Amino acid sequence: MNWLKKTMGSATLAFALAGGAGTAQAQDDTIKFALLQDFTAVYTFVTGEYNQGQQDYLTLINEEGGLDGTMFEAIVRDTGNQPQRGIEAYNRSREEGAILFDFLSTPVSRALVDQVIQDEVVLITALHGRGDASDGTTFPYVFPMMATYWSQATVLAQYIEDNGGLEGKKIAIVHIDSPFGREPIPVLEELASEKNFELRAFPYASPGNEQSATWSEVRRYRPDAVFIWGAGGGQSVSVREAIRNGIAPDSIHSVVWLAETDVANVGADVMTGVKRFEAVATGSDSPIIQRIQEKVIDAGKGAGDSANVGTTYYNIGVATMAVSVEAARLALEAHGAPLDGPKLKAGFEMISDFDADGFMPPVTITESDHQGGGSGRVGQWDGNAWVPVGDWGAAFQEIVRKEIEAGAADYREGK
Amino acid sequence: MAYFLELLLNGALTGLMYSLVALGFVLIYKSAGVPNLAQGALVMTAAYVVWIFTSYGLPLWLAVLLGAVAMFALGLLVERFLLRRMVGQPVIMVVMLTLGIEILLRGLVPGILGAAPKPLNAGIGLSPVIIGDVFLNRAYIVGGVVALLLIGASLLFFRTRLGTKMRAVSDDHLASWAVGLSVERAIGLSWGIAGIAAVGAGTLWGAVQGVDWTLSALLFPAIAVVILGGVDSIAGVLLGGLLVGILGSVVPGYLDSYVGGSTRDVVTSLIILLTIMIRPYGIFGREDIERI
Repeated sequence: MNWLKKTMGSATLAFALAGGAGTAQAQDDTIKFALLQDFTAVYTFVTGEYNQGQQDYLTLINEEGGLDGTMFEAIVRDTGNQPQRGIEAYNRSREEGAILFDFLSTPVSRALVDQVIQDEVVLITALHGRGDASDGTTFPYVFPMMATYWSQATVLAQYIEDNGGLEGKKIAIVHIDSPFGREPIPVLEELASEKNFELRAFPYASPGNEQSATWSEVRRYRPDAVFIWGAGGGQSVSVREAIRNGIAPDSIHSVVWLAETDVANVGADVMTGVKRFEAVATGSDSPIIQRIQEKVIDAGKGAGDSANVGTTYYNIGVATMAVSVEAARLALEAHGAPLDGPKLKAGFEMISDFDADGFMPPVTITESDHQGGGSGRVGQWDGNAWVPVGDWGAAFQEIVRKEIEAGAADYREGK
Repeated sequence: MAYFLELLLNGALTGLMYSLVALGFVLIYKSAGVPNLAQGALVMTAAYVVWIFTSYGLPLWLAVLLGAVAMFALGLLVERFLLRRMVGQPVIMVVMLTLGIEILLRGLVPGILGAAPKPLNAGIGLSPVIIGDVFLNRAYIVGGVVALLLIGASLLFFRTRLGTKMRAVSDDHLASWAVGLSVERAIGLSWGIAGIAAVGAGTLWGAVQGVDWTLSALLFPAIAVVILGGVDSIAGVLLGGLLVGILGSVVPGYLDSYVGGSTRDVVTSLIILLTIMIRPYGIFGREDIERI
């Protein structure tokens, strides 16, 4: 009944996260992060684990004494992926003093971009939202902070370039027919003309539960490599249909949204060899996850099912809060408490080579680059776990930057 | 030619699986005269129920059997506590009620049981059936056969004494009461049977894509199937499913990569619009159906 807790408001949760302790001063300075996400509609494949990771990380920081006594509070509410509900939840959380917002929903995030810029509070849009918000001069309070879909496509392309080369290859991108699904195509098209490979896009209808006609066509195209660009249940359908049509698993390359649940759906053995973009390390070996296990999970203070700890989406949630807490730490050091939106923004823009003890690629955020460098790596399912098959890094950022600048220019012109 | 045949055959099999979703819709309409917009959510709920049983280690056949019992009971409960109050009320009220049930189940079931996609292994291999250069999806072949069996069983059911009574109830509630037929029992039974049909559809589609809320989106193609085939016709479900499946496969198969977008939903929408404009009662539907 986690959803019930989330929809009933944040009071109990906030108390639990704060440990019910701290001085009066510390409570006044409590830093409030509003995690207003879609627990009941489109993003349900990711939100549960992602939000659990976020809450557990904030609990960890509080258990370790906060930032020199300054505690964190998570305000958690359901938006159902509806901009109207997102706006309502945003306004309530603003009144409660939140200075950072994470909607994990492209429609809600897009609806509130103008508002957060006007209100001078921070909006983080890791792995969702508008990629052109990486342009910090146009979107001063919006922080994608991880590789955009453009950067994910280029990292995957770089992997192919490093392992046999792109030139002369036929690459199929099989995508959900939505703005998200179409997003990487312009970057890949430009890359195709630069690197002399052939690219063809194959759309399928949302939500992707039936893709047989699409894959019949893909099979006849005889691609050397396939990118799959979808989310949720549609991803396991894509992998199944690809394999059924004779496409080797190790020539399948996925956007970041491919995780343990998809492996369970497709079958661990069948999935062996499939590759994906990784924004954050998966598994429980990282020091940051070990600390959470010891001080939060084992202490009975976790926000959800302990079996989720270390999964792909849990770890991504942890990473978003690790970067955000690091920004708060830098902001407190530079400007002192209490924090507000402009101070926190400045903190984000001071982040340099932050990798949370190797948990994620080094992130450097500047006034102009809110993407943080656009790094990631390629991981491969080996039958038991996702294992990295390359190092952290960014690729073809000059092409990505052109897309970012074009999108930002359109935004400035009101398009 | 092989490409066309592959699109045609896989589309036909997919269409039969849409028919299975549509069957629940028609069963309720044929028995109770109620347009049931909750059928997509019932399919999703049925898939979750079967998944629960399999997650406790039960074999699939037993999980399906228990799921059928559970969904039959859910259908009866829906009728007893929600639909019974609607007997004799304007049909628009009933439509709104079923829409409310759809929204409620779509939010409640994933909320309680977990929204991440769940695996439902039906034991159907991934390797296709290959005939020449035509690849047929094994899961769709199984789905098509099951759909044909259930549709056939439904046709036979409405030739029984009980089925005849249910058709009479659908024709006229007041007249049925007057001759001593139990309208409530007939409507309850139709919801129960629709629940069982939902188990068939939910299990097969759940095995194809995993179990999550998106199963409820199958309502859209199912609506196209019943409008095309005829909202009160089980034979129409069969033909409507085949046509919706084939057109939804062949047209996108040739057009999608040229127009840069998936045309399947466009095809489905056009089927709905053109049928209502040209033959509003569908291919096999009765012409005297009152529409809203």
